[in-house]
Amino acid sequence: MRKRTLHRGLTAFWWLTLAFLYLPLAVVVLFSFNASNSAASFTGFSWRWYERLMGNEEILSAFANSMILAITSSVLALVIGCLIGYGMYRHRHRKLGWLIVLIYLPIVLPDIVFGISEMAFFVQIHDLTGLLQPGLGTMIIAHVTFQIPFVALIVYSRFVGLDPTLFEAAKDLYATPVKRVVHFMLPTIKPALISAFFLSFTLSIDDFVISFFTAGPESATLPIYIWGAIKKGVSPEINAIAALMIAAVAVAAAISLAFSRRRLT
Amino acid sequence: MSETITADIADRPGATPAAEETPREAAGRKASSIEMQGLHKRFGRDTVALDGVDLDIRAGEFFTLLGPSGCGKTTLLRILAGLEEPDDGSLVVGGKNVTEVPPHRRSVNTVFQSYALFPHLSVRENLAFGLKMRGVPATERDAKVDEIAGFIQLGDLVERRVDQLSGGQRQRIALARALVCEPDVLLLDEPLSALDAGLRSQLQVELLRVQKRLGMTFVFVTHDQQEAMVMSDRIAVLNGGNIQQVGAPREVYERPVNAFVARFMGHDNLYAISARQGDRLTTALGTLTAEEAGEGELLLIRPETLDVLPGEVEGPNHLQARVAERLYRGSHAEFRLEIGDASLQATINNRGRHLPDVGDRVTVVVAPEDLVTLSE
Repeated sequence: MRKRTLHRGLTAFWWLTLAFLYLPLAVVVLFSFNASNSAASFTGFSWRWYERLMGNEEILSAFANSMILAITSSVLALVIGCLIGYGMYRHRHRKLGWLIVLIYLPIVLPDIVFGISEMAFFVQIHDLTGLLQPGLGTMIIAHVTFQIPFVALIVYSRFVGLDPTLFEAAKDLYATPVKRVVHFMLPTIKPALISAFFLSFTLSIDDFVISFFTAGPESATLPIYIWGAIKKGVSPEINAIAALMIAAVAVAAAISLAFSRRRLT
Repeated sequence: MSETITADIADRPGATPAAEETPREAAGRKASSIEMQGLHKRFGRDTVALDGVDLDIRAGEFFTLLGPSGCGKTTLLRILAGLEEPDDGSLVVGGKNVTEVPPHRRSVNTVFQSYALFPHLSVRENLAFGLKMRGVPATERDAKVDEIAGFIQLGDLVERRVDQLSGGQRQRIALARALVCEPDVLLLDEPLSALDAGLRSQLQVELLRVQKRLGMTFVFVTHDQQEAMVMSDRIAVLNGGNIQQVGAPREVYERPVNAFVARFMGHDNLYAISARQGDRLTTALGTLTAEEAGEGELLLIRPETLDVLPGEVEGPNHLQARVAERLYRGSHAEFRLEIGDASLQATINNRGRHLPDVGDRVTVVVAPEDLVTLSE
């Protein structure tokens, strides 16, 4: 009897937690369909804010920037992080503790510290060489920098989960070094690579702080646009952007999760 | 049906264009001999894995490397595969020095202990992997995979996914994946150790059948002396990176050269020789006459060569004993006998005669021709 009460209590707690996490998101999504521009009362269903989005040049350009930034940085981070992850795997028997910590550090460092550092660094380089004008270029570099650790760790843990004899079996079965990469390593870690790409993509789309410090005047992304627009008050248009971003990130995160769960025996 | 396929694998007519294009495959159908000379390998500063191994393996032989873990048998196998490079010494396979040839350019394939089937590939793709890497065209690959699947009797396993296979099925796929490449030498790294006893003896028989039909050189690694005796044409017993003895199973079991080999082959009846007069050897058991007493300072008496008679019987090489323990095993019984302060193991076949009980006085009869001397 007591056990059942406890069980009910825990179930209620679970739903309460979910509500706490998702109700604010639900409110944003709901009001993005509000017919009036009131943020207080829902007066009827309408697509009008979504239609307004489509006509807003500034928002479309911010959306384009966000996509270019997310895709380019994720691809670059995938290539570099994959190589680092493999290197960490290959040399895992050496004493590399401090190197692993170096890889982890950007993950735990506060974004604002990271953003300020990147900005200061880019300014220095720009003053010295004239290169790295703040804009999409600097943002891509900054994003790649914080995405690499995630990719490297995902790839590394995939390799660690493999039977090490598989590498030897590939050699034994006449695979040259290049063929081992093409026919064994890449296909074997493919789920990890897909997962890492979509995680990087999500991180990039979500990021505001680091983007804010490294952006140029022409390279506002959606979060930066929202930050600017919100100073004038929350409009239902912002709700619509937020709702779209929630959808996009949810899809990317779901893909990432689905492939990271895929375990091979 | 499988007979014709076997014959086909053993001596495929060289008329097919693909066979003419790859002379290595033609060579693969001949069994190759292996010569190892002065192989040394150490790991780190203090771990000596191989301490100067000289060993010749004949073409077409089922050869077993036997020894406890850490004896160097796996290192030796990995050197044969090319997965490990010796610090010193040379390795010749089929008349070619391959000491520094990387594994992907050696016509040697391995059946790994963990099977190492590629999880991202189907069974068929696993079987075809080696052929694909060697550039064999797809249609020929398919034909060879079907052929080997018939030979190993894989049936519908070929169309399954790797994660749908049981341990025994994986083992057979791993064997087929290596055999389909028609290597000069097949290496097997404890391939049966992960299987339960029943399946294990079934696969031992199958492995032997495959080796005899293909006539391929097999090098087999195991720590199980029973398995080694069942399977091998010859056995090399290793310890501490050195070869202790090389010989046919009967030689190694019945005439071990030293105490290590004797104990590893399962012998417990070893006695220090305290005095000798010609062929008369004195040990803690008393004085026994051997047919041919060798140089060694230890006397080996195999438990199954002994006769145990009830009561006290006088005669040459007759020892008076008391039964201290009896283990009844159905087909035979194992006795621990006390002779003075010494103890002696004896195994008696159960032929329905009276089996002595614990505490009985018995007489042990030792045949002079079954006594072996060996060194420590």
